[in-house]
Amino acid sequence: MFLGRVAGTVWSTVKWPQAQGIKLLLVRPYRVGDLPPGAAAAPGAAPSEPTDDLVVCADILDAGPGDDVIVAFGHAARVAVSEKLPPGSKPMVPIDAAVVAVVDRVEIPR
Amino acid sequence: MIRGTVIGQVWATRKARGLDGQTLLLVAARDAEGRATGRLVVASDTLDARAGEDVTVAFGSGARNVLRPGPDNRDLLCDAAIAAIVEGAG
Repeated sequence: MFLGRVAGTVWSTVKWPQAQGIKLLLVRPYRVGDLPPGAAAAPGAAPSEPTDDLVVCADILDAGPGDDVIVAFGHAARVAVSEKLPPGSKPMVPIDAAVVAVVDRVEIPR
Repeated sequence: MIRGTVIGQVWATRKARGLDGQTLLLVAARDAEGRATGRLVVASDTLDARAGEDVTVAFGSGARNVLRPGPDNRDLLCDAAIAAIVEGAG
């Protein structure tokens, strides 16, 4: 899983039927360099380059741009999305990343 | 798996049901020389790891096996988990 900020949304009309109704978000992962100074004050810590890489994630929590979220990959993402499918459905949706939490607070002791 | 250092904890009330009861820690990944690579990982914690401690993080089915040994654990929502608290590395 990773911590990121929702940067936008993606929509499409041509897609696999199993992906119908699944909202997609663009999420930018946080890196060590994005944290407040002193947060990663462990030996050898160096400021990191920011990244522009965005991850496309399914969204079941109605997150929106500016929200800080946790994103899960792989089977865990399909497990999260299948919570919104009819009971007994198997997690066969064609996705590999999903927003699994909207973050309230990140606690970083100095 | 990766090696990293716990730097904090993440709190969320709006979350997938599968995350209920899981403690989520923020881990900064380290390279072979022990330097932070810049990558941050959110991992489930069952070992009561604290900020500043070096840990290993397992991904995928390895992470699920930390929460509950398989094979019947594919219902778990977990793709990263703290597998060990590191005491030394050479």
